[in-house]
Formats: sequence, structure tokens, C-alpha cells
Amino acid sequence: MGDASTSLAQPPLAVIAPARRRRFSFDRYFVALTVLPTFVVMVAIFGLPLLFSFYLSFTGWSPNQALLGGAYVGLDNYADLFADPVFVGSLGITFGYTAAAVSAQLAAGLGIALLLNVDLPYMRAFRTALVIPMMITPIVGALCWKLLLDPSHGVVNYWLGQKIIWLGQPDTAMLAVWVVNVWHSTPYVSLILLAGLRSLPSEPREAAAIDGASRWQMFIHITLPLLKPYLLVALLLRTIFEFRAFDNIYAMTGGGPANATMVLSMFTYLASFVRFDFALGAAASWMMLLMSMLICLFFIAVIRRRDAN
Amino acid sequence: MAIVVGSQRTRWLSRALVYGALIVLTVVFLFPLLWVLGLSFKTRMQTFANPPLFLWWPTFENYIDVFGRSDFGLAFLNTLIVSGSAVGLSLCVGVPAAYAFARFPFRGRSFLFFALLVMRMLPPIAVLVPMYVLFSKLGLTTTRFSVVLAYSTFALPLVVWIMRGFFEDLPAELEESAWIDGASRFTAFRLIVLPLAKPGMVAASILCLQLAWNDFLFAAVLTNNASQTLPVKMMTFSAGDSGVDWGGVTASGMLVILPVIIFSFLAQRHLVAGLSSGAVKG
Repeated sequence: MGDASTSLAQPPLAVIAPARRRRFSFDRYFVALTVLPTFVVMVAIFGLPLLFSFYLSFTGWSPNQALLGGAYVGLDNYADLFADPVFVGSLGITFGYTAAAVSAQLAAGLGIALLLNVDLPYMRAFRTALVIPMMITPIVGALCWKLLLDPSHGVVNYWLGQKIIWLGQPDTAMLAVWVVNVWHSTPYVSLILLAGLRSLPSEPREAAAIDGASRWQMFIHITLPLLKPYLLVALLLRTIFEFRAFDNIYAMTGGGPANATMVLSMFTYLASFVRFDFALGAAASWMMLLMSMLICLFFIAVIRRRDAN
Repeated sequence: MAIVVGSQRTRWLSRALVYGALIVLTVVFLFPLLWVLGLSFKTRMQTFANPPLFLWWPTFENYIDVFGRSDFGLAFLNTLIVSGSAVGLSLCVGVPAAYAFARFPFRGRSFLFFALLVMRMLPPIAVLVPMYVLFSKLGLTTTRFSVVLAYSTFALPLVVWIMRGFFEDLPAELEESAWIDGASRFTAFRLIVLPLAKPGMVAASILCLQLAWNDFLFAAVLTNNASQTLPVKMMTFSAGDSGVDWGGVTASGMLVILPVIIFSFLAQRHLVAGLSSGAVKG
């Protein structure tokens, strides 16, 4: 590493000596000068806040106290969290919601990508139309659905001929939030998988076709294994994004009814910005940080192992 | 012969099935948006008509009403300023760093790069809680500057990721020959590399602009009436004193998503690269 960096950081030998001395200092610090601003911004907007929230989570800080004026309370905030049935419930809800949303997105996204990968006239129009939901501002998409699901004036109830209070009952509220999520994020998965499908080599399929493999056999034994890296990336990204789900839940249910859609982000938001218990919010957000780090590390390990093989 | 006829028939059948499935999917995926677009052109009476109207004479009153509120224009301006500044800041700070990441091995490079990845992956609410407390003690909450800083937590990693990939794909010979001709690292970067990197910078800015435009959480917490952004403003139409303002929600919603759909089509080529942030590579 040392050798490589010195050989690259110094100007080539061909440069004449006097000129080299004049701008030597600037070039020598080129890497430092270019990377430093990013480093400073990262520390200021990311490192320091996270350290501060780590500190907050061990104090009984309240908003009228000085920044570092909270009394040390040890693990009390964490103990409070795990004694709170709403928080413990939100762990299950978050993982269940993430799993249900991501698996539906992957299944639907794969199906759509396979359809869009067929070479037929007008395919471009379908490819364009089917990415639109993911471009919609999430909060706007969720509010649109809220109007569609309106108990008395919504078009969904009109078609069903019933007056279901979709967002007012625990089961249907969860279902509604999940449907909106799948609607919004499936195009994201299908876009990644379509890019994957288009980049696959055609030779293995041609060879299999000559050997008389059926379409289903080709899909299971050739396309899917080749598509695996793309499926993994989609799985990783969607898991991370659904784990932090907030916008559609905030707009549609606010975590209710009876905490049925209380995901971790919503819990942390309510603790911090509605009840102004920032110490508890900090503890909850550190639990979220640790869990999302674990998810990331798990996927990185999976990807590393795949690359090693 | 029979086989040929059979296979031709199955080909037609499979084509019809593919088109049929795609048409159904397109209808399902676009219906919510189109229905709300329709609602935004209905009067109050038409919105609540039972059975719902599928054909009506469109009215622009909801749009006129939304534009007539001075705070809607302000929210539009705020969104533009805040998203634009966040993208500008991230480009100024992130592009040189991305170049260094792509070209020069240095100590701590992989650690820093990993930290940037983590920054993109961690839940925003976890950063927002301490950020709000720190900003309120510094007197920064409710300012647009606080939102710009908050948006940089996702814009900066995205810029560095995309631009690093872009610089890695640029041939190094051009700068190397400039160095041999006596140009300093900075001169070569400014005069040779940056002009070549323009397409990458455009793609990165559009993707960041899209994320910033769509943000709700940061802006909802860090702004007040004077500095609120469009998605936050739009939410107030849904939670007013007199219940949901259907005209306001639908018309403002369509106005919020129109620009972002336009940017997205501009950046469609780059969407996949940005979404997967280089994770597919290698």
C-alpha cells in the first residue's frame, strides 16, 4: 500500500526538477485535500450526530437541559424500551412487514422483469409505464391510496360494494400499507432485474435450447442462477429500505390502529418528536442502527462468499 | 409440418399472453395515479358523486385554488432551494473525493468508503433524532440550511458512489499525459477530468435531486411554515381542521410529482446504476 501510494502521489520522473519543486507540496497533499472536505462533512452530519445520540441514549436528557446536561442513567432507556409492549411489538411488526413486502416485491418484480424482457413491438412503452409508480413521491403515492381507500367516497369500496374502513382496523390497515408499498417499490426491483436479464449472455440458453430443454427448465437451471447476483442486490437494497419504512405508514395510519402498523421508524419518530423523549428516541434509534448494521453485514458476508466461489 | 403449425400457434398464443399480462399490470400499476389525476380535475360535487364519475367536464378550480395560496409557491421555492443546494454541496464536496477514491490508493480509503456506504444504508430517523437536538441547540432548526445538511446525508454518499464508478471507467492516460506535460494534479483534474465527468455529474445530480425532492421525514421535522417543502405542505391538505381537503390533496399531489417524473425520465438511463449504487459491479 505504501509503495503504491508514493509512486502515484509523486509526479512522473519526466517532470523537470525546478518545476517539480514549485508545486510539489500541493500535489503531495492532493489526496488529502480532495478527500478532507468529504471527511469533514461526514463527521459533521453523520459521525457527530450518531455519537451524540449514543450519549443521549444513556442519559435522562430533556429538551430544556443544556446539550450535555443530561444525567447519566445507565441502561434505563434500553430497559424502558424492552419493557414497553409497543416497542417489542414494533420489532415483530417491522420484521414481518419487511419480509412480507420484500418477498412480494421480489416475486412480482421478477415476473414483470421476465415479461418486459420479451422482445416484442411496443415493449418500450410498457417498460416506461411500469416504472412510473416508483418515481412518485412516496408520501403523495400513499395519500393517493388513502383517497382510493376512503370508507365512504373511495373507489375501492365502491367497486367492492362495501363500506370497509380499511385504515381503521388492524388487519386491513396492515394489508393496505403493504399493498401500497408493493405497488410503489416493485418497479424498483423489476428495473434492477430487467437490467440483469438484458446483460445475461445468450449462449447458455441457446445451447440448452439445442439440447431440447423446456422453457421452464431453462428458467430454473440457467436464467435464475445467472440472475442471482441481481436478485441478491435487489434483496439487500429492498430489505434495507423497508426496514426503515416511514412515509407510507405515516401518511396512511400514523402507526395505528391500536399500534398495528407501528414500525420501528414510526415508534422512534413518535417517541422523539411527539412525546419529546429524545433519550428514549435515541435508544430506539440505536437499536435500529444495530439491526440495520447486522442486516448489512449479513448481506455483505453472503455477497463476499458468492464472489469467493 | 404439423410441428411448425403448432409452434406458430403457440407463439401467437404466448405473445397474446405476454401482451395481456402487461396490459393488466399497467392498468393495475397506473390506476391509482390516473384516478387521482382525474379527481384533481373534479369539483367537490363531482368528487363525491355516487356512483363515481368516469366522464365529466374537467375543472381547473383545484389547481387555481392551490396556486392561489401564497404558501404553496413558497413551499415550491423552498423545495427547489433546499434540494438544489444539497445537490450542489454534495457535488462540490463529493466529486473531488470520488476522483481520489477512484485513482489514488491511500491509507483509510476502504474504511472511508465503507463509512459512506453505511451512511447511505442506515435509517434516516436514526440520524434525524440527534440532528434535531443538535440543530435546535445551535438555533438551526426551521432554517433551510438544516434541511440542506440533512439531505447531504444521502446525497453525498450517492454522489461519491456514482462518480467513483464513473471515474474508474475513464481512461487514466489523459491525466497522466497532462501530468507529464507539467500540469499539477489540480490543473489536470480541473481542465481534463472534470469536463469529461460532466455526464456522470448530471446523472448523479438528477438522482440526488429526485431523492431530495421526494423526502418527507427530514423536512417534516426540520422545517416550519416558512421553510416547509412541498411534500410537507401537501400533507397539511390531508390533515386540515375540516378533514381531508380532496381538491387540495389531489391537485397539490399532482403538482409535486410532475417535476420528479420529468427528472426521472431524463435520468432513466442512469436509474439502474444509481439505484444499485455500484453494488452490482464486480
